Amino acid sequence: MGSITFNHVFKQYKGESRPAVNDFHLSIEEGEFLVLVGPSGCGKSTTLRMLAGLEEISGGELYIDDKFVNYVSPKDRDIAMVFQNYALYPNLSVYENIALGLKLRKTPKYEIELRVNRVAKILEISHLLDRKPSQLSGGQKQRVALGRAIAREPQVFLMDEPLSNLDAKLRAQTRAEIIKLQSDLKRTTVYVTHDQVEAMTMGTRIVVMKDGVIQQVAPPKRLYDEPANLFVAGFIGSPQMNFVEGSVTREEGRYYFNNKRMKLLLPSAYDGLFDRMNRAVRNVVLGVRPEHVLLKTPEPDDDEKGFVTSAVQMTEVTGADSYVYVTVGESKIIARTDPGTAYRNEDKPAIGFNMSKLHFFDENTGISLADGGDEE
Amino acid sequence: MIRRLRRITPFQVILVTVFTALAAFMSLPIVFILNHAFKPTNELFLFPPRFFVQNPTGSNFEQLFLHATNATVPFSRYVFNSVFVVALTLISVIVVSTMAAYVLAKYQFHFKQLILSLITLSLMFAPETVGIPRYLIISGIHLHNTYLGHILPSLASPIAVFMLVGFISQIPGELMEAARIDGASHIGIFTKIVLPLAVPAIATISIFTFQGVWGDVETSTLFMQDETMRTLAFYVNSLLSGLQNSVAGQNVAAAAGLLMFIPNLIIFLLFQRKVLETMIHSGIK
Repeated sequence: MGSITFNHVFKQYKGESRPAVNDFHLSIEEGEFLVLVGPSGCGKSTTLRMLAGLEEISGGELYIDDKFVNYVSPKDRDIAMVFQNYALYPNLSVYENIALGLKLRKTPKYEIELRVNRVAKILEISHLLDRKPSQLSGGQKQRVALGRAIAREPQVFLMDEPLSNLDAKLRAQTRAEIIKLQSDLKRTTVYVTHDQVEAMTMGTRIVVMKDGVIQQVAPPKRLYDEPANLFVAGFIGSPQMNFVEGSVTREEGRYYFNNKRMKLLLPSAYDGLFDRMNRAVRNVVLGVRPEHVLLKTPEPDDDEKGFVTSAVQMTEVTGADSYVYVTVGESKIIARTDPGTAYRNEDKPAIGFNMSKLHFFDENTGISLADGGDEE
Repeated sequence: MIRRLRRITPFQVILVTVFTALAAFMSLPIVFILNHAFKPTNELFLFPPRFFVQNPTGSNFEQLFLHATNATVPFSRYVFNSVFVVALTLISVIVVSTMAAYVLAKYQFHFKQLILSLITLSLMFAPETVGIPRYLIISGIHLHNTYLGHILPSLASPIAVFMLVGFISQIPGELMEAARIDGASHIGIFTKIVLPLAVPAIATISIFTFQGVWGDVETSTLFMQDETMRTLAFYVNSLLSGLQNSVAGQNVAAAAGLLMFIPNLIIFLLFQRKVLETMIHSGIK
């Protein structure tokens, strides 16, 4: 119940040169919480709308529960959708809003009452059932919208940026509730967001999209630790991963990362990557997350330890951490540090990287040399 | 802060005074019609004329009904014709216009833009300019002396469609998508979601459709040769036009004037709150 298969699905709008969704190929397992994430216009919402049946599929096949559903109307797909602006019927009370889908499906009246009340209890909106949507706050409207989806007990839940109209505090709270709800109901859920924090915290698997193309499909931790390409590496994580351009050379059997300002001896764990990249000039982009950048007071033997001098541009204190923006030559690097050590602008600390946590990307294609990208 | 909000400024006093005076001035004709209808004959011809009635009497109405019963067609026939035609026209205009507007506002199809332009274009024509073609069509399909002849010409109401398209297109598309996923059919979406939300706009078009049809003389004059098919508006109009320069029937005319005005007032009072909503909606969104 509730598995979904996209078989090379395309969406092409008339009069546009590039498809909005390009060769979307993915299987979603029953009970999975899949998050589609990407910048606006990346095709994530279009994908969801094709799944809902609100948008025609231009090419490829879509299966829900191994049933071919390309031409099945939304109401017969056994799905429920939560919209960004809630889409509650303003002329109906909360109760009627939740009950409408059941009524239209000719559910017996006593069962409608039972289900609406049960859902209202779960979402703590029992006291609101007689109100009209205009009398509700944003958070309450969102709960009613969720309730409407849950009451139908569909195989698949679709959520299109359901939290983006809520304020920060309510968003975090509702996020936690949706996670709990999903794990209780164990229904397949496809969730669209542009917020990478939402994606990382909610999804059991995340699909990162850009320009209609899937960039990577992976569980959150894997996406963070092994991004498949430069886009994913930059999109996931805040502040974003630092990128340093340079080349990799081999000297006396060891690999070094070089650019104008630094020469780093790379641990032999990476040897395999560069052996495979069998070219004379190995131009790469080195990626390192802010928490893996080390700052310290300069010492004479820094060079041997792999530290170089940097210049502090700015410091951001968030409370738990502070982010120090430094430059090394032309590269701008952000380091996460303990807020206890204060850096002033124009300070010249030594900077180094946690050598076991480096990422390398092909400079031309942007693809990770670790090729840890595509799922499984 | 609160104190400042509560304090009445001189500007507000002036504003309220001016608008009250303006409202009073605007309501003078209504007050006049009301008073006029109950004036005995001697008061009707007082010079200088008085605004308010001194000795109210119902004799004007008595005369009106007597005058009508003397005619070949009873007064009640005109009333029935009017009520029947107005009710049927109102219902059909609402049904046709809302359906047309929903499709034009929310669906994509070929020639949609052309149809919308044609509707806008037809707003430009004054009723007089289409009098002759309308007559030819009515006589061509033999609708003389039928109720259909009353109803059909006002059925296609471009202004109603135009207003409703504007209103319905502001209903978020997500509502319809949500309803589709909930299992509603096209008709279901229309009746359960679109119609209830369009009520303010429907109220507005009801008012002016009512006023147009209730006061319409042209249809009865041109298309209805049979006196029994003519409406109250025609009857009152013919009553008044025959009396323009005579002293004799002024009391009857005064009563008839009030009689024609009352339904308009009732309809307006019934729907005006919804009309305000239309204006607020179109202002904000």
